[in-house]
Amino acid sequence: MRDPYEVLGVSPDADDNEIKKAYRELARKYHPDNYQNNPLADLAEEKMKEINEAYDAITRSRAGGGSSYGGGTASQGQSGYGYGSSYQQQRQSAGGVFAQARQAVSRGDLEGAERLLQGVSRNGEWYFLMGSIAYRRGWLDEARQNYQIAVQMEPGNMEYRQAFSMMQQGGYGYQPNMTGAQCDGLDCCTTLMCMNCLCGGCR
Amino acid sequence: MFGYIRPALDRLNQEEKDAYQSVYCGLCHALGRRHGWLARMTLQYDFTFLAIVLAAGEREDRLCCLRCPVHPLRKPRTCVAGSQMDAAADQSMILTWHKLSDDVDDHGFFTGLPFRMVRRLFQGAYRRAAAAEPEFDAQAREGLARLRELEEAGSPQLDRAADAFAGILACAAQAVSKEGDRRALCQLLYHLGRWIYLMDAWDDLDDDRRKGRYNALDARFAGRVRDNRDYLETTATHSLRLAGSAAELLKLGGWKPIVENILYIGLPRVQSAVLDGRWKEMRDNKEKAK
Repeated sequence: MRDPYEVLGVSPDADDNEIKKAYRELARKYHPDNYQNNPLADLAEEKMKEINEAYDAITRSRAGGGSSYGGGTASQGQSGYGYGSSYQQQRQSAGGVFAQARQAVSRGDLEGAERLLQGVSRNGEWYFLMGSIAYRRGWLDEARQNYQIAVQMEPGNMEYRQAFSMMQQGGYGYQPNMTGAQCDGLDCCTTLMCMNCLCGGCR
Repeated sequence: MFGYIRPALDRLNQEEKDAYQSVYCGLCHALGRRHGWLARMTLQYDFTFLAIVLAAGEREDRLCCLRCPVHPLRKPRTCVAGSQMDAAADQSMILTWHKLSDDVDDHGFFTGLPFRMVRRLFQGAYRRAAAAEPEFDAQAREGLARLRELEEAGSPQLDRAADAFAGILACAAQAVSKEGDRRALCQLLYHLGRWIYLMDAWDDLDDDRRKGRYNALDARFAGRVRDNRDYLETTATHSLRLAGSAAELLKLGGWKPIVENILYIGLPRVQSAVLDGRWKEMRDNKEKAK
């Protein structure tokens, strides 16, 4: 196991607060939400696991006074942020072909998934899966169009709606706190409100 | 290539600016050393970024101090050198050549004459570069041939057109040996390529219409491109975010703040300039300031 301090990017002399802050920032960065349906989700998951283990090891060694952090058995749920199985274990709906196609997509076998869907009658799930294949390839325009049809065909399906809404938002992203002129949420809002007042006042 | 990939210099500190500059200079010297002084003229910002992400992964770059031939009176500057810089220089040369060939094909015999002359000047350079980077050259040929097919068919499939171009850039990731890093770099470069393609198509819209050329956005939105500005902005931003999420998985070491600056500040800025039609102005101002 790598040195947990190195994993979190802090020095071993850092106080608990600094460690917590570094951990939170990293957990925010590699949070599963940022990698939903992303072909790199497995790499982010590995990273998250490493960070969770490092954080657990440090807190354990500091709390118990024990210096060993080699155990590495800490469960990832312990630290609050983890890759839950909720979104990965997607609903297995009726129709063996669709289930197989889903598995092929999650394996990254996009051609295989596409072959499976060929000649199958097109319902909402068909369009959803075609959208997922396109998304995995980075074909975001096609993905959005397919998700949209899926939602139109089955407006009640939350999974399809969520996928389509992600495309409408332009995906999820992590925005680091860059040094320099920072603008936190409150500042942004305040500025906008002030500007709005000015605009209104000029009319 | 196009020069869209650039940092927000005002948000970098001096040390980071110097580091960026050292790659830019290093790439220029690599182009000059490998392909002659004329090749230096083809240097673009985009490949500086490529050189950074390639060099960051490999850790075998070295620094040297060289005088700039364009500014011979200035003090020699630090330049990054190494096999990754050479690779980026070769890849830049290959794309420049294919772009010139494209221009030749786009024009008739007489109007294409200047392009053919310029292309001839780079013939030797291209051959050397293609011999050093055969896979990249093959990918570039394949991608551009696919693009031409889509152009001739007037295809409305925006993603496929962008894919043909993005695949070329993504191919540069094949040099990375570790599987996870290779996949992450591949996604980073793919979505940058997609983003460049979208920006370029928007930027060329009026020009393409005047000359009656294929424009992927025009075909996709059936002539109503400007009405779909928000849609385009969303999908371009989505690509930038996917590029960013891929970059976070790479070990970038000291290059991290520069890469983050480019992806999270520089490119969104360029994007809004392109979409607002301010891009040419912004680019020219920056070149004057340099």
